[in-house]
Amino acid sequence: MLWLAILLPDLPLQVFTRGLRDVPAIAITADKPGAPLIAASASAQAAGIRPGQHATSASALLPELRLHARMPRREAEALNEIASWAGRFTPRVSLSSPDAVLLEIASCLRLFGSAHDITTQVASGLAALGFHARIGLAPTPLAARWFARCGHPAGEDWLQAIDQLPLSVLEDEAACDADTRALLAGLGLHSLGEARDLPAAGLARRGAQAVRHCLARARGEMPDPRPWFEAADTFSHGLELPAPTHHSEALLFAARRLLASLEGWLQARHAAIDHCQLILEHAHRPHSRLELVLGQPCRDTAGLLAILREQLARLVLEADVGALRLIADRPLAAIARTGVLFDDVGTLRAQAVLLLDRLRARLGQSSVHLLASQPDHRPESAWRQGDASCAGSPAQYTCSAHAPPLAREHKGLHVRPLWLLPEPRPIERADYVLLSEAERIECGWWDDHPVHRDYYLANNTGQALCWIFQALDPPGRWFLHGYFA
Amino acid sequence: MAAPLRHAPSAAPLAALLDALPAGSVWQASRIADHADTCHPSGFAALDRELPGGGWPAGALIELLLDQPGVGELSLLLPLLGGAPAERWITLVSPPLLPYAPALADAGVALSRLLLVRPPQARDAVWAARQAAASGSCAAVLAWLHMPDNTALRRLQLAAEAGATPLFLFRPLAAARQSSPAALRLCLTPAAGQLRVDILKRRGPPLARPLLLPIR
Repeated sequence: MLWLAILLPDLPLQVFTRGLRDVPAIAITADKPGAPLIAASASAQAAGIRPGQHATSASALLPELRLHARMPRREAEALNEIASWAGRFTPRVSLSSPDAVLLEIASCLRLFGSAHDITTQVASGLAALGFHARIGLAPTPLAARWFARCGHPAGEDWLQAIDQLPLSVLEDEAACDADTRALLAGLGLHSLGEARDLPAAGLARRGAQAVRHCLARARGEMPDPRPWFEAADTFSHGLELPAPTHHSEALLFAARRLLASLEGWLQARHAAIDHCQLILEHAHRPHSRLELVLGQPCRDTAGLLAILREQLARLVLEADVGALRLIADRPLAAIARTGVLFDDVGTLRAQAVLLLDRLRARLGQSSVHLLASQPDHRPESAWRQGDASCAGSPAQYTCSAHAPPLAREHKGLHVRPLWLLPEPRPIERADYVLLSEAERIECGWWDDHPVHRDYYLANNTGQALCWIFQALDPPGRWFLHGYFA
Repeated sequence: MAAPLRHAPSAAPLAALLDALPAGSVWQASRIADHADTCHPSGFAALDRELPGGGWPAGALIELLLDQPGVGELSLLLPLLGGAPAERWITLVSPPLLPYAPALADAGVALSRLLLVRPPQARDAVWAARQAAASGSCAAVLAWLHMPDNTALRRLQLAAEAGATPLFLFRPLAAARQSSPAALRLCLTPAAGQLRVDILKRRGPPLARPLLLPIR
């Protein structure tokens, strides 16, 4: 077994700052009133603010400091999000509260190349999610976590490295309570190796055998079973914006974090989505919702991002946005496509669908359509607007690409103009020279738009070839209906 | 060290010398540019002979100037539209009239690939034409824009280059007097059952005589 521990230092602070491009001076207080600060951002620390200070003295040091109460619910959710995302690397993920996620990666080393390659990919992936993490590798989960926390000390092997770790790593273990740690510190011990050398009987007599158990688990001498994390069936993760904003660039930046997380979740489930919802939460108003609809199921979120950019650009917000939430509740099974060297048909098709999505996102459904012909003798009924919303890609329509049999029958018999006027335009007969015999179109008695017309090819003074007709109903007026462009 | 030339070479050895050089190293003003980019044949041999590269340039803005719809502008493009590959759109942005589906289908244009975009605002029309051209997923983009300014034209040209897509822009004849970044500008006028094409601008020497294309 090889464990990779993702440890998030200052998680209470990171849940506030992950959606921000520039982190302001911000500090987190414990949720109890009057409690000291537990974390401060780099710019706040530069001004002399340290965890442990009281909120009042910190505000005195830096008046523009933003103070936020810790949100344990958000922290748990962030861990959940990372664990769901980490499913793209390995199916064996385990949560290690309060601030770490453990990945068992021995079985997927071959796929990713080496432990080093996985570490690099995990680190860059976490950066895309907006998290700053420390990563540790060890054959047992506890040791991996400790290495993530303190770094891997130099040593012959990992067992010797554990011995060199400071006693402070025991703070994370619920079994080693404060009394036990005080006892060890009182004995003048500094490292885990020294604690391991203590006689077992003496420790047990002083109620401190938990230390030995901890060490045995970390060294792999005792079993350390971990419950596996199971990602939820639906994706719903949120992100806090400490300073409410209405700037579309800032919102897009924050949404990109959530989209990166969605991508990991989709990869882990071998799923794709064709629509999702972004909820913009306002403080004292009903939330705004953005529906992101894709033309076809898709696994990477570049398309979603492009659509989101267009939607945000034209969205009018009633109030500033304090938090974002991305919801994808209907994942679809995705068919994996093998990669090829050159541009292939699939890539072209994906591009074509993406174009359709972008146009529809900005211009609205009603502004983008396809054309189709219909078997009808009446010129105005012989075509219809295809619904672009059901169009997947150009190639999906090839079945209807050919003219219907009726129209093909007439090919060569009757010519039709390339441009049709939306409404026939009344004309003066004298302006036109008829060039052909009449083609009578007389049908449609079965519905409300009967047609009795004689159509002619004609030349007008502008020398364009026109399609004109005479209505056979009295008074027999003449109309222009199209151009043979 | 090269010996200084004693006398000017006569025209014939010069031509032979130039022909011996690798292609593309010397450009002569009397030749039309040899396009390195791909070109799509227009389907009209007379026109192909005069277009640089022998057809519609693949990544360029092409202006077609005409005064009223119906002079034959669609027929001129039908061979290109009919040969569009199956995975690509043919995008029409704000056409002035209805492109008539049965006639297009008869002419061999696959209707399923025809994407009709009618943006509510003129600004959006420029945007849609740019997106379509830059996406690289269109075989051709045909746009009818209301008085595009020079910035818009420049952006359209860049989008066409980025997507390697021919972008046909239809403008009134009056626009011929304005300068334009388009790589190719053609004036289309009807002439007794034929289409008269004046090449206003191309990469190469100007063409004095008009072309008459049999389109009907």
